[in-house]
Amino acid sequence: MKFTPRQLEGNVNVSKGHPLAELGWMIGGLLLVVLLVYLLLGFGADYLAERMPVSFETRLGIAADEAFPGDDDTDLQERLDALLALVPKNSPLHQYSFRVLRSPIPEVNAIALPGGTIVVFAGLLDKVESENELAMVLAHELGHFAHRDHLKKLGRGLGLTALSLVLFGQDSAVTDMVSRAFITFDSGYSRKQESAADSFGLKLLVARYGHAGGSTDFFARMSQEAGSKTAYLLASHPHPESRIDALQRMIEQAGYGEKAVEPLLIKLHPEGINGIQ
Amino acid sequence: MTEILLQNLDLLIFLVLLALGYTAGSMAEKRHYRSIHEREMELIKLPVVTAEGRFPPGKVKESFMVSGNAVISIDYFKRLLAILRNIFGGRVKSYESLVDRARREAILRMKEEAKARGGGMVLNLRLETSTIGRSANQKKQVGSVEALAYGTAVVFNRK
Repeated sequence: MKFTPRQLEGNVNVSKGHPLAELGWMIGGLLLVVLLVYLLLGFGADYLAERMPVSFETRLGIAADEAFPGDDDTDLQERLDALLALVPKNSPLHQYSFRVLRSPIPEVNAIALPGGTIVVFAGLLDKVESENELAMVLAHELGHFAHRDHLKKLGRGLGLTALSLVLFGQDSAVTDMVSRAFITFDSGYSRKQESAADSFGLKLLVARYGHAGGSTDFFARMSQEAGSKTAYLLASHPHPESRIDALQRMIEQAGYGEKAVEPLLIKLHPEGINGIQ
Repeated sequence: MTEILLQNLDLLIFLVLLALGYTAGSMAEKRHYRSIHEREMELIKLPVVTAEGRFPPGKVKESFMVSGNAVISIDYFKRLLAILRNIFGGRVKSYESLVDRARREAILRMKEEAKARGGGMVLNLRLETSTIGRSANQKKQVGSVEALAYGTAVVFNRK
């Protein structure tokens, strides 16, 4: 028999299929997986925030503190401790060791960070004019801690960060990266959470001073600058006027009464602005 | 617009490399396969076998070793496909053609050497493969596959 060499048709060693189609399928699958994880974490985040022990939260807080540098302020700390002493003994708030930091950022805001750090921005301290107002601000932030809003706000990122903390430990680069990417603080609380924190703050203010005087002063001053209510439809915080209305209603219902406020006993305003040299 | 582009420079570079990898890679692959087909047809009359040869005395004039090797590189696009395959499992299709091309090219080069030196047949073909550029799937690493084909070329006495 004569040997006749012949070229084979096709190629058995290379699989058929267009590479772009393969890419499409795999990227689609990957996106689906990520989406599922994201949705699950979304449902899990609130659940997790309610049940996360304070000791675990403190570990999360270390990464958060670095994002908001500020100086410890003994005056503010004293006022916070005084408020904290009035919180019922069985409250989970007593498991925190709170720190109050004073930040030079000129924003009119104060934030509650995981682990029990409250950062008060210089812009807010500028606007405060009485001891009662200051107590209201601090009590409001304590309200966020009591309701664990500061954890819920972190939302889906919290689940990922907690997972990474368990898997890779506190000092690993992965945890650092994940917490940096997901723990962002510029998103505010929801209006419902703010109102709940206001109500908590009001009760604590009354416990401290015996009356509700000064609770709305701060918002009243803010509402003059805040502008129209329509601009607040999409904002995270309620419009100051709505907050005043809600607080007034609570004061009337509980019969707290309002008396004269105590003037500030400490110098909160940066030098120069008030003419103090 | 420019600002957004500059902020995502990493992503931009990645996409450019990916597009470049895809177009240049598939063009190179198509051209290479065309050349492989042509040369395989040219050399089809030169048999290559993996068996040892036994010939009657006086049939073989001369015998010597011939070898050919080829190195084929992966590109960005193929690497991305392979990385995604590492997640999902399954056949790494994007690398199959690389190995196929490297092996066939190596055999072709070996046959070309055998033909140039007057060989009528290659016996005892052996193939080796290896990777060049260790840990080819790791970040910022582009690997290559090397195939080496070697065998014994036999020159027959013409009678």
